[in-house]
Amino acid sequence: MRPGSQAADGEIVRAVLAGDRERYARLVERYRDRYARYAARMLGSADAAEDALQDAFVRAYDQLAQCKDPDNFIGWFFLILRNRCFAERRRNRTSASLDAANDVASDDRTDGGAESAERRRALQLALMELTPDQREVFVLKHMEGLSYTEIAERLSTSVPSLKMRMHRAYDKLREQLRDHT
Amino acid sequence: MSGYEFHPLVKQLLDGDITLADLPPELRGEGEEALRLLAAVDRTDISMPAVTWRVMTTLERRRRRFLPWLLAPALAIAAALVIVLRPTAPAPSAALVTVRFVLVAPDAKQVSLAGTFNQWDAQVTPLVRTGATGVWTATLTLPAGQHQYAFVVDGVRWVPDPGAPAVDDGFGRRNSVLTL
Repeated sequence: MRPGSQAADGEIVRAVLAGDRERYARLVERYRDRYARYAARMLGSADAAEDALQDAFVRAYDQLAQCKDPDNFIGWFFLILRNRCFAERRRNRTSASLDAANDVASDDRTDGGAESAERRRALQLALMELTPDQREVFVLKHMEGLSYTEIAERLSTSVPSLKMRMHRAYDKLREQLRDHT
Repeated sequence: MSGYEFHPLVKQLLDGDITLADLPPELRGEGEEALRLLAAVDRTDISMPAVTWRVMTTLERRRRRFLPWLLAPALAIAAALVIVLRPTAPAPSAALVTVRFVLVAPDAKQVSLAGTFNQWDAQVTPLVRTGATGVWTATLTLPAGQHQYAFVVDGVRWVPDPGAPAVDDGFGRRNSVLTL
């Protein structure tokens, strides 16, 4: 590895498995923020998202030897985090509270004023009314910017199936947001 | 039918397959409503720096059962710890022992070890910072026996290990003592 270049995920995974446990921190540093937004939007709470991320990284560490493709650590980790988020939602079936929406909706610190901040909060609340499957595809496509093809690969499903979920989500969001759009 | 379904063409608009201009005039209003929905999507980055510390602390605590040093309030130099991890296979001449050195130094830019095991060279045994909490660690395999050492913070400040016994080095400095 050249000085200054970053070790590949697979290299770090193999080093951790060989006993260099501290290097696992590099993987956590590398991916925690990238998936913080996914977890926060899926769970409707920044605190719950932080707990989920922590649990997922610890679980991934425990099961690291089962990561069949260390170079694709992040694809494997994402599925662990996803399972954790879905399990969390199953445990807490109650609808998201307004507080939760406020928790993850960003403050009105950019342009657009209070009205757009209110729309963001309303959308976050509406997202929590979707099924986890519907919310996930919306989050991955419209918040994380993935294409249907990329999402299908990540979730091992088909594009038509994803589109069906998404189109139902659009209708449900429209109904939830009828007073805000 | 709830009465709130978007027209299939508007769903294509939301999917990014077509543009507003591609919609027939009677669907433009619905299309604009749909785009307002997407405009409310919050793509703000979220940073959770504490996750690294929480994960690594969880792993460390679980492994060592209890490491109060990692939970102590962060001080400039809060605490240090030497952990005997595992004896390695005995060598013909001397047994080797793997040891972890831990120092909590949130304000440090770099930390290294200098001791009898590296000829007191502060350049050759750096500690690695784990996460944003100021926990620095290094894992060494050393021969069984007695070693003296100190942490060197930012290349200039020699700090004895408060978690280990220390002896005077004869030059006004205190060296920590590790017996393996």
